[in-house]
Amino acid sequence: MGNELLEKYVLFRHRDVEDIHKIDGYTANDGYTALKKALETMKPEDVTNVVKNAGLRGRGGAGFPAGVKWSFIPKDIFPKYIVVNADESEPGTFKDREIMTYNPHQLIEGIIMCAYAVGAETAYIYGRGEFRTLFLGRLQEAVDEAYAKGFLGKNILGSDFSMDLYLHLGAGAYICGEETALLNSLEGLMGQPRSRPPFPAVEGLYAKPTVINNVETLTNVPPIVANGADWYHQFGTERSPGTKIFSLSGRVNKPGNYELPLGTPIRYLIEECGGGVIDGKAVKGILPAGASSAIVGPEALDVTMDYEAMAAAGTMLGSASFIIMDETVDAVWAAEKNVKFFKHESCGKCSPCREGSFWLTSVYRKLREGRGSKKDVEMLETIINQMEGNCFCLLGEFTVPGVRTSLALFRDEYEALARNGDEMAQPDHNLVLAEQMLNSQSKV
Amino acid sequence: MSDNTVTLIIDGHQVTVPKGTLIVDAAKQIENEIPVFCYHTKMDPVGMCRMCLVEVGTPAINRETRQPELDEAGKPVIRFFPKPMTACTTPVSEGMVVKVDSESALEKRKGILEFLLTSHPLDCPVCDKGGECPLQDLTIRHGPGNSRFDYEDKQRFPKRYPLGDLIVLDMERCIICTRCVRFQEEIAHDPALAVENRGRRAHIVSYTDPVFDSHYSGNTADVCPVGALTTRDFRFGARSWELTNAPSVCNHCGVGCNTVLSTRTGQIKRIMPRQNEAVNEVWICDKGRFGHHFNGSPNRLTTPLVRKDGELVEASWAEALDLVGQKFAAIKEAGGANALGGIAGARLSNEDLYLFQKLFRDVIGAHNIDHRVGLSATLEDETAYTVGVGCGTDLSRTGKGAAILVIGSDLDQEAPVLYLRVAGAAAKRGARLINAGGRQTKLDAQAQTSLRYRYGTATHLALGLLASVVEQKLVDEAGIEARATGFAELKKALQNYATAKVADVTGVDAEEINAAAKAFAEADNGIIIFGLEAGNDSALRAALEALALVTGHAGEADNGLIAVLPHANSRGAADMGVVPDRLPGYAPVDGEAGLSAQEMLAGESGLKGMLIAGVDPAAESEAYQAALEGLDFLVVQELFLTETAKLADVVLPVKGAAERDGTFTNLERRVQAFDIGVPAPGLAWADWLVLVAIAGRLGAEWLYASADGVMAEITQQVPLYAGMEFENLTAPVSLERKTSHYIYEGMSFTADAREGVQWPTLAENNAEGGPKLPLRFIEPAPVAGDEDGFTLVGSRFLYDGGRLLAESQVVESRIRQPQILLSKLDAQRLGVANGDEVTVSQNGVSVALPVKINRMVAEGTAVAPRNVAGRPVEKLVGPGGVYATVKVEKT
Repeated sequence: MGNELLEKYVLFRHRDVEDIHKIDGYTANDGYTALKKALETMKPEDVTNVVKNAGLRGRGGAGFPAGVKWSFIPKDIFPKYIVVNADESEPGTFKDREIMTYNPHQLIEGIIMCAYAVGAETAYIYGRGEFRTLFLGRLQEAVDEAYAKGFLGKNILGSDFSMDLYLHLGAGAYICGEETALLNSLEGLMGQPRSRPPFPAVEGLYAKPTVINNVETLTNVPPIVANGADWYHQFGTERSPGTKIFSLSGRVNKPGNYELPLGTPIRYLIEECGGGVIDGKAVKGILPAGASSAIVGPEALDVTMDYEAMAAAGTMLGSASFIIMDETVDAVWAAEKNVKFFKHESCGKCSPCREGSFWLTSVYRKLREGRGSKKDVEMLETIINQMEGNCFCLLGEFTVPGVRTSLALFRDEYEALARNGDEMAQPDHNLVLAEQMLNSQSKV
Repeated sequence: MSDNTVTLIIDGHQVTVPKGTLIVDAAKQIENEIPVFCYHTKMDPVGMCRMCLVEVGTPAINRETRQPELDEAGKPVIRFFPKPMTACTTPVSEGMVVKVDSESALEKRKGILEFLLTSHPLDCPVCDKGGECPLQDLTIRHGPGNSRFDYEDKQRFPKRYPLGDLIVLDMERCIICTRCVRFQEEIAHDPALAVENRGRRAHIVSYTDPVFDSHYSGNTADVCPVGALTTRDFRFGARSWELTNAPSVCNHCGVGCNTVLSTRTGQIKRIMPRQNEAVNEVWICDKGRFGHHFNGSPNRLTTPLVRKDGELVEASWAEALDLVGQKFAAIKEAGGANALGGIAGARLSNEDLYLFQKLFRDVIGAHNIDHRVGLSATLEDETAYTVGVGCGTDLSRTGKGAAILVIGSDLDQEAPVLYLRVAGAAAKRGARLINAGGRQTKLDAQAQTSLRYRYGTATHLALGLLASVVEQKLVDEAGIEARATGFAELKKALQNYATAKVADVTGVDAEEINAAAKAFAEADNGIIIFGLEAGNDSALRAALEALALVTGHAGEADNGLIAVLPHANSRGAADMGVVPDRLPGYAPVDGEAGLSAQEMLAGESGLKGMLIAGVDPAAESEAYQAALEGLDFLVVQELFLTETAKLADVVLPVKGAAERDGTFTNLERRVQAFDIGVPAPGLAWADWLVLVAIAGRLGAEWLYASADGVMAEITQQVPLYAGMEFENLTAPVSLERKTSHYIYEGMSFTADAREGVQWPTLAENNAEGGPKLPLRFIEPAPVAGDEDGFTLVGSRFLYDGGRLLAESQVVESRIRQPQILLSKLDAQRLGVANGDEVTVSQNGVSVALPVKINRMVAEGTAVAPRNVAGRPVEKLVGPGGVYATVKVEKT
């Protein structure tokens, strides 16, 4: 069904195996055998090395090699923590939800192996507040099952290794997907990012060494440990190995999650998986990483979806949430939507993000209501220039590329809106005042 | 280049600074001020306003050779970070190159300022911060000249939102630097403020009850870099550039915070802290900030009063002084010098107090003088003379390696700024804090160890700690050899204070006693702070003195004892010999000691005439009042017509602290001068001048023309005060001690920073061959057995019923009314709720008090404030007592 590139799913195994979300279903299909293998035959550093050699890169967006991240954890500081980032909140991203709903045990197995690799005894899954039903229901059931079967808790599978896994719900803030804001939120503080250094690997949760990985990243770990690094390299490109879940949305016929090897062209995702653009219209723009992305035009359709090629095309893979705009979409409307999102989600800690996104929204509203002028279009550019590189964390920085590329690709649409404003442009308020004052003085 | 310093280049200038210094602080050394809003030198950096963005480069390292890369000229290649860095969070590194004023950095700054100004109202012409506002100044220096943001789109917020009674928030002006929130959390340890909501809707809130419940709230208005937080007191009071700023010293407690009196047209408009790292850093408490209204009060006495036909009527100074002279001379003639006595309050300056004792001792010929009534009655302290904290002690730097033992003091209430410093030493800088007390206090939250003893057993605990130090062989043998005598005898006496036994008596766990003793003895530096609630007990003072000497924590900077004294010049009153048994400088009197304040006020003291200055014993108790009524002739020097003044035959109006100059000695023995800020009302004179005039009427020829002249004599007559000439005391401190421009700390005035001068203790002198100190052991009073009932504690609270504070309407709602604090459980058992009345009784004395449930109070304990209207708790525990076992019943 639209996915001839994979013989069997690596992450979305529920699409091959029916009752894999239940522990019996999972164990009947090689579930927890990788864990058994790790605990019985591998030293913790061996697990890290396999993941390192497999070249597994963080699926949260940054693409940092997971094994390298694990190896940063100091050996001699206790306790250590694993925090799973399930605050999936990038607009257009909905992959982790599917994993946790339908294939939760593979994630749990991955978490346990990560904890074993770095020597942590406590792990938390931090989910966005909207995952309440999932976290209180199906995911908690999966955790309970794992405890009941001895995969979690004391002396897992009869080994010396023990660990606990807790589920924690946030209160619904995009910023809490930023790893240090997530840690603050998990500690009960306000969800605002911390300055780095210190990095979480050294001083993370409760100022202790902490691994923070995305749900999808850790779900990759069991098959890697089970089958080895070489097996993993059969998928994807040399520097972006493995499979990846692509969340496809926007103006396509069949939006949804698609697991594909990294390095698959964008065109394949849209046309083969997504059934093409609605009504056969032409692609106008692609947002490959949700609201945070630099928009690329239709000329990027043949770019391959891996970290390197996407960067070379002037954008990023991010969490691979492809939002497709077709020719019917108003580009300024779309950019305003993004900016509004960032204004709403700005935590307010640093001034460029707090004030910049607020100002951008104001200018966009003016333009869209037909009150804007050419000066306002230029203003958008100066505002993002004043934000870029100056923000405390990436939330503010991610406001910039969408606006910048939207302005570059669809300048004519902005200027068309601005022309309206120019026609009804009002005289400069200050000049009018000055003139009035001069007049009144001359009368005296 | 030493191991502990780093050399870097900032805008072409080479700077060498200690490792770990932040770029922003390094730049200050070359007087290159990097603009900041959220950064504050006393708080942890957060890097959130982004105002201090600078370009930073570090020497490039060749990946293969691991050697610095060199260019053709042989100079290291500097690789700049792709993004600008915040100078307030980035520590310096060797060879770093920082560009503060590059074109790109200036452009960034302009951008940030434009952002901050988008929703900021341009109401500088009516804003209290105008003229001393970092946002205003930095906008003029770096900002854009006009606003491109649409006025209609500005984010609106409430303009005058009260954050409690003292602070008003204008949220539209706020730039969310969170200095105020962080001050409350990090420095004040009262997390009363928070940011609510996010993004542009973020705003400052307080959910405490009462709102913004903190003794330090005024400081948030100082540190606020815009006009968002203003004090009720100063709001719309004056433009900052119209103010005249006089350096002063706070007269409300013994800490001696340095302040600035900002005045206009002869009125105090506001009080702000004046930097003194050794005393108050850059903070003052709200009592000091808002409690100045007594100076310009309409209730002040403005002319001498003389009693005629039973009524006090206005008189001239000549008439009043002549009468005092005649009557005092007559009383001496008839009943001898000892028919006269005097009590001087510890709020008077050293000059006043010196002349007060000189008047009695040299002119009249009596030793009947004292300062110990009211709050002072409960605390005697001569330990400062022997093992007080060493000269140069600086609690703003006390941290790792130091131990602080606090015993029997609720610092947050009794000496607020000392609380900030002790709490900061423990919470921020890693000092080991042991808080011993009979009840839970705010300091327990910062203490690593809390020792909760039964009331009445503080001395046992001190002896137990001492015995444990000896038992664990943690004694500083060399130090004892050099400084002290009598260790063998002390050791013998301590055998009765084995840890297990002390644990049994005090109720403190034996292991905790041993651990605390070990921590204190093993620390590099040790400071003992003791207060009222440890009890007025010479045995305790002897034990603490011995503990300091035996552990080697005496005679050096950052070691020794601090007594938490109640008044601004309690220390000076003891130094100046305003006690019946000691001359100025602690020399014992020749012959028989005079009468103490308690004896003079007991009735049947044989006194016929008294001079009372700056203290109101008649308000303390009916017995005192009766004793004063029984006198033939009473003279009172006062600011107000107090209860005592109402009984007087002659009342002499005096100047308030802001209306005259003088010196106070603080609880660390630091002598500090204060200047004249405002004119005195009516015909008021300075206390010392009144004493000069009285002495003249009694035949003495005193030629003092100024306070500074009196101090000149003190420096000659009192060896401890050698070197305390006004010239020395008012000398501005060197630049390296005075840290920074106001954008870094929030104080904008230009008054001199001074540090004052400390006098050395015996323990310091004996390091240089002075006499050794005897280690004393005094048997503590026996501990009463367990009685049924509540342990009622008379505690000091910051906002008490003192006469001076009563003039400040702005803090009126915070002033303690008579009440009894009970635990929730006890209140439930008694069947009472907040506000219900209970009858508290002991030995036939009973008092009715309204109940307030307090979570800090333990079961079986009741706390009642001292020094409040009607002095109810003093009736039960006695003027010098701390606690009593009482019966509490629902009325």
